[in-house]
Amino acid sequence: MYGWVGKILRVDLTSGKVSTEPLNTSLARKFIGARGLAEKILRDEIAPDIDPLSAENKLIFATGPLTGTLATSGSRYNVVTKGPLTGTVAASNSGGFFGPELKYAGYDLVIIEGKANKPMYLWIYNDKVKLRCAEHLWGKLTDEATDLLLEETDPEAKVSCIGPGGENLVLFAGIINDKHRAAGRTGVGAVMGSKKLKAIVVRGTGGVKVADKDAFREAVLDARAKLKAHPVTSGGLPTYGTNVLINILNEAGSLPTYNFRTGYFETADKISGETMADTKYVRNKACTACTIACGQVSAVKSGPYAVAGEGPEYEATWAYGSQCGVDDVDAIIKANNLCDQLGIDPITMGSTIACAMELFEEGLIDREAAGLALNFGNAEAIVKLTEDAGYKRGLGAELAEGSYRLAERYGRPELSMSVKKQEMPAYDPRGIQGIGLEYATSNRGACHVRGYLISPEILGIPEKLDPDSIDEKPGWLKTFQDLTAALDSTGICLFTTFAIGAPEIAAMLSAATGVEYTVDDFMQAGDRIWNLERLFNLEAGLTAADDKLPPRMIEEPIATGPNKGKVSKVPEMMSKYYQVRGWDDDGVPTGEKLAELGLA
Amino acid sequence: MSNILLISPDRCRGCGSCELACSFKHEGEFRPAAARISVLRFKAGISVPLTCLQCDEPYCMAVCKTGAIVKNEVSGVVEVDGDKCIGCRMCVMACPFGNINYSIATKQAVKCDYCGGEPECALWCPEQAIEYVPQDTATLGRKKDYSARFARLVEEVGS
Amino acid sequence: MATVRFFATIRQLTGQKETSLRSDTVQELLQALAEKHGVGFQKAVYGPGGLSDEAIILINGRHLEHLPAGLKTKLENEDVVAIFPLVGGG
Repeated sequence: MYGWVGKILRVDLTSGKVSTEPLNTSLARKFIGARGLAEKILRDEIAPDIDPLSAENKLIFATGPLTGTLATSGSRYNVVTKGPLTGTVAASNSGGFFGPELKYAGYDLVIIEGKANKPMYLWIYNDKVKLRCAEHLWGKLTDEATDLLLEETDPEAKVSCIGPGGENLVLFAGIINDKHRAAGRTGVGAVMGSKKLKAIVVRGTGGVKVADKDAFREAVLDARAKLKAHPVTSGGLPTYGTNVLINILNEAGSLPTYNFRTGYFETADKISGETMADTKYVRNKACTACTIACGQVSAVKSGPYAVAGEGPEYEATWAYGSQCGVDDVDAIIKANNLCDQLGIDPITMGSTIACAMELFEEGLIDREAAGLALNFGNAEAIVKLTEDAGYKRGLGAELAEGSYRLAERYGRPELSMSVKKQEMPAYDPRGIQGIGLEYATSNRGACHVRGYLISPEILGIPEKLDPDSIDEKPGWLKTFQDLTAALDSTGICLFTTFAIGAPEIAAMLSAATGVEYTVDDFMQAGDRIWNLERLFNLEAGLTAADDKLPPRMIEEPIATGPNKGKVSKVPEMMSKYYQVRGWDDDGVPTGEKLAELGLA
Repeated sequence: MSNILLISPDRCRGCGSCELACSFKHEGEFRPAAARISVLRFKAGISVPLTCLQCDEPYCMAVCKTGAIVKNEVSGVVEVDGDKCIGCRMCVMACPFGNINYSIATKQAVKCDYCGGEPECALWCPEQAIEYVPQDTATLGRKKDYSARFARLVEEVGS
Repeated sequence: MATVRFFATIRQLTGQKETSLRSDTVQELLQALAEKHGVGFQKAVYGPGGLSDEAIILINGRHLEHLPAGLKTKLENEDVVAIFPLVGGG
């Protein structure tokens, strides 16, 4: 096998049985790997309407054919399952070193089934695979658990694990690998916790072969040269990290603030990438084979929030920052670090705290229940409530279910800034029309990395689209969604697409696998994966009625800043989007479309 | 004058491209465990790439009983002659830096050979943390960097 | 006076976060800045070759490219001009 390593590891936690099976090559060609291939297997093997936290759910760790090669930023793996936060298909993507190591051990995918009766971890050393007791690790933060696991296995091994968040079934718990890289969203960590699987530890000494070495070398050198020549991937990201976006989104009037009451945060510069580069960043850290190295090792050197770690990324800075009205950068870094340690998603956590702050200011949550005053801007609250949620203490137990269930509990579900019960990320859809359509139609609930229209709408890459316009957005969104679905399935990082596109990726993929993917084949694979996800969600019980933004986005104009007065026009774009997708008026893929994609 | 591989750990971001490029060149696959260069990763994102330093008086050569290891005086590279290597691993034991390995696949000692004069690790390093530079001026770049920092300080103090 | 804000590498080039300038149009304002901040700014933002492809200029939050009058856009008191290099993230 080339690109793929040709083997699936299957682990049944109920019986303790470990087995391997060959990769189905014709499925791999159609669904590429990682996100696409694992979702195909998930849909074939589970009933989409099951309870995500039951033993019937499966948890798939999936690499792509480019993972672990020299392909640009080829570090990624996906965790695929049915998500407990959204009830949709869940695919969370992470970099670092864990994914490549799985391939060096000889596996494209690891399928976890059933449920253990006591905490276990999986130790993979090439073809030696063992389930080991993890009772001594249960309750440990991800950092400490990782260190202990490396001590008792192999110091060169790589660890992907859950923290107390996943163990306690926080509905937005993530899975943390290499200490600070996260398969963060949709609650994949809660599924791992429900199965009582603390960690997967892997050491691989094998390799990944490619079909045409010369063509692969050429294709990667070409793609790398483009990444090095592009100001975003060679300058902006390494220097300022993803937080470089704080100021531009704020100046463009679309930095969600105070639970999306407005899109402008007066003191945004205090939490910006520029400020962090000057005062908090220590050095860059790359994932496997990455030329961008956007990762920032950071430190708060003194004070109540002193901490050393990595991040925060833009989304976390926003969620704890302007979304909660907090401009104390030290508290934001501390809260983000707690998320890594507890193994929870900072986007949902921060935005859920913002929702609680609004409920507090509306008089619905009282001070006694919260343990402190929850006014917007309270830096102490973001740190305390994060910890409380991870351990489900006091009000934290309510926050641990995400903002939708929290707001519903207090009779105000409209105060949850979520789609399909997952919180919207850091771009106000009232000021950027395309991204609103993206949130509304994302197959894993509101998400920015399913079709990042911010790139053309705000950053002007690959061309400049007016953020206020709506006519061309459904078409652009389909292209971005398909490209991203295909790219996520190869195992390279989405950030490469600031500088390269389908032609470069298809060239690397073809040379690696020996399967000739034209640009059209590649984009069609993305379309196929998108439709597969849609089918899963429809079978899980979701309908077109779930493709909608919170009412605030449609009814309440942005209160201040450059976009004052604007609302989202997502409802006006939806029928055209369905049409462009080849779906009927109810958002169901037509028979013709499914036949075209080989999904019928 | 021959070139040497100059490693600047302060520039390394730990991506491991060197290990991947090395194993791709020598083993025909992406296999860091078999690479002749290794990136050692420490806390706080500090990473150090290590490979054979091509010593002037190599311990590996001194302990080799079959004369399989020789220092090529023209290229400066310490070379392993596969025909003579008996796989005894004395060289692996002798190298104080751990920079010569035993290959299970070939049952022989393997080490960095500068890829015959075009080292792939230097080509693929995205940060110029590994450079292939003329031996006699190898450290000039560092001198320049450091002195420039010094000059700036003097200027600040003076003004 | 229009307020001009500088970000990321443009902040490094100009050595300041913010300034105020009296100019009738965006073009005049950029010309004044180009004269003041020299070649680095001219290459990164606006110079004899015109607007750089690698700059993002927002006038009151709107991209210069999406304003009908473009560089000829009139500036009034309290207008905010924000200048960024090409950036990205996510």
